[in-house]
Amino acid sequence: MTTISEPASPPRAARRPSSRRDGKRLWTSLVVPGLIWMLVFFIIGLAIMAILSFGITDDIGQPIFSNTLANYQSLLDPIYLQPLIRAFVYAVLTVILCLFIGYPVAYVIALHGGRYRTLLIGAIVLPFFANYLVRMYGWSTLLSDDGVINGVLRRLGLSDGIQFLNTSGAVVAGLVYGFVVFMILPIYAVLERMDTSLIEAGRDLYGSGPSTFWHVTLPVSRVGVASGCVLVFLPAMGDFVSAQLLGGPSTLVIGGVISSEFLESQNLPLGSALTVVLMILLMAGTLLYLRIARRAEESVQE
Amino acid sequence: MTTQSSPRRRRRSISRPRTAIFVTTVFFIVFYLPLVVVVLFSFNSKRSLSSFGGFSLRWYQSLPDNEVLVQSTQASLTMALLSMIGAVVLGTALAIGLVRARTKLGAFANLVMLLPLATPEIVTGVGSYLFFRGFDIPFSMTTVILAEITFSISYVTVILRARVGSLNPEVEEAAMDLGASRLQALWFVTIPAIWPGILAAGLLIFALVFDDFVLALFTTGVSPQPLSVVIYSQMRTGVSPAINALGTLMLVFSLTLIAVSTLLPRLFGRKGGGFDMITGA
Repeated sequence: MTTISEPASPPRAARRPSSRRDGKRLWTSLVVPGLIWMLVFFIIGLAIMAILSFGITDDIGQPIFSNTLANYQSLLDPIYLQPLIRAFVYAVLTVILCLFIGYPVAYVIALHGGRYRTLLIGAIVLPFFANYLVRMYGWSTLLSDDGVINGVLRRLGLSDGIQFLNTSGAVVAGLVYGFVVFMILPIYAVLERMDTSLIEAGRDLYGSGPSTFWHVTLPVSRVGVASGCVLVFLPAMGDFVSAQLLGGPSTLVIGGVISSEFLESQNLPLGSALTVVLMILLMAGTLLYLRIARRAEESVQE
Repeated sequence: MTTQSSPRRRRRSISRPRTAIFVTTVFFIVFYLPLVVVVLFSFNSKRSLSSFGGFSLRWYQSLPDNEVLVQSTQASLTMALLSMIGAVVLGTALAIGLVRARTKLGAFANLVMLLPLATPEIVTGVGSYLFFRGFDIPFSMTTVILAEITFSISYVTVILRARVGSLNPEVEEAAMDLGASRLQALWFVTIPAIWPGILAAGLLIFALVFDDFVLALFTTGVSPQPLSVVIYSQMRTGVSPAINALGTLMLVFSLTLIAVSTLLPRLFGRKGGGFDMITGA
């Protein structure tokens, strides 16, 4: 048919289908190397972890594949259960503090930042790119027994020195400092898009400041608050740097136990089981986040 | 309420929330205080971390004599560079492939690509550690690079996917109508169009890998170790003002990279640099 209707361009008509097939082959060949890389270096490692969590160690500590549940049962041992619960409590406290600190900050920048808005949000994100360890190091310098804060307190004669380091408070403070950005950004994103005439309407209807906030602003920013809570909870629960650098033996968290099982005591099957449990707990959190995000998308479409 | 007080009320409704502004001000001070302390005490002439003796560059001058730090800095730079190249090449190919190939394989690859972003870093670290142990690969700079590439591919692909998606495929078709092969169209049309994004993603990955700690800790060999790991073990044994000097240099370095990666796409008149990815702007 083409030869009759389009005699002038037979090469083009002939090339199209084959070039489309070429295209498909090219696109596939672009996907395959990355896919294989991820399967080899990511999925296989996780698979080994899952299988080894049912394994045992031989007399010299070498891991052997097996089918025991002993590693999971040892999680009931307070040695492992306590750090898990502690990490959970720290993470929850971190989320609450981040919310109470992050919400006003996001609110002020989004609704009262004016032309400095972008600059202020940039100033929030900037330290995120500074090395996490250097930031933690700065914290420990501030809080240490002969550090800046205690130095100032002594000079003012207010106290002989307060012990901040090696306490749970210092660990949670470190976590808040490290992850508060993840609370501010989603709340900011929601408030920034908010129709401020809603607030004015609330005030016009004689709502007081707090009650307008409670009945108008807060419900609008619910989605941002929820995402922020999850985005802070996930890294806070798995973190062990803050507990190890700002805390002491009494602030051991599950991430610290896992890293020492692998890098120090070399009990790989037990470490694998602990990691699997942590991963399942955090994945439950991620699924929760995805549900919230989907609901948010639906409410935006409405 | 009388009508007279109504305007005052309206003015009050847009007035500033004093408590929230106070919290925000305190927040910014506390947020930057640790960094200010690190930078300030890196110029301290005294060894103390609580009192400032006077301006001095002695801790910076002591850095080149510290062989471990010098070696680790070189190692970290090398690892960040090689990881960046690997992740950018694989991630860019994956991004183009995923946007253009609407096949079952593409959907599967998309899922696999997103997994590392949803996985806590400690889990990725354990997985990488067990992979290398399982195949008897000795821990070294190579293992760190392999693990960091795995972790970084997803970032590159996510950044570039939106960019590739916004390209008009008809431009490629036009190139092919003019006699270019699929591959030539890709190389001479598509890649140049997303080039600023590729550069920005590369710089972001360089900064992330250079600063990464958890994955590096799980996959590093004994020597040379990545800079983060060295700082970590030095901090556990006791602090030294030399870390302040090193930390300040790392700070300046990372922030320069991020600034460049943010400005770069803007110079080309496009958004979507490292900064935008985080802020979602």
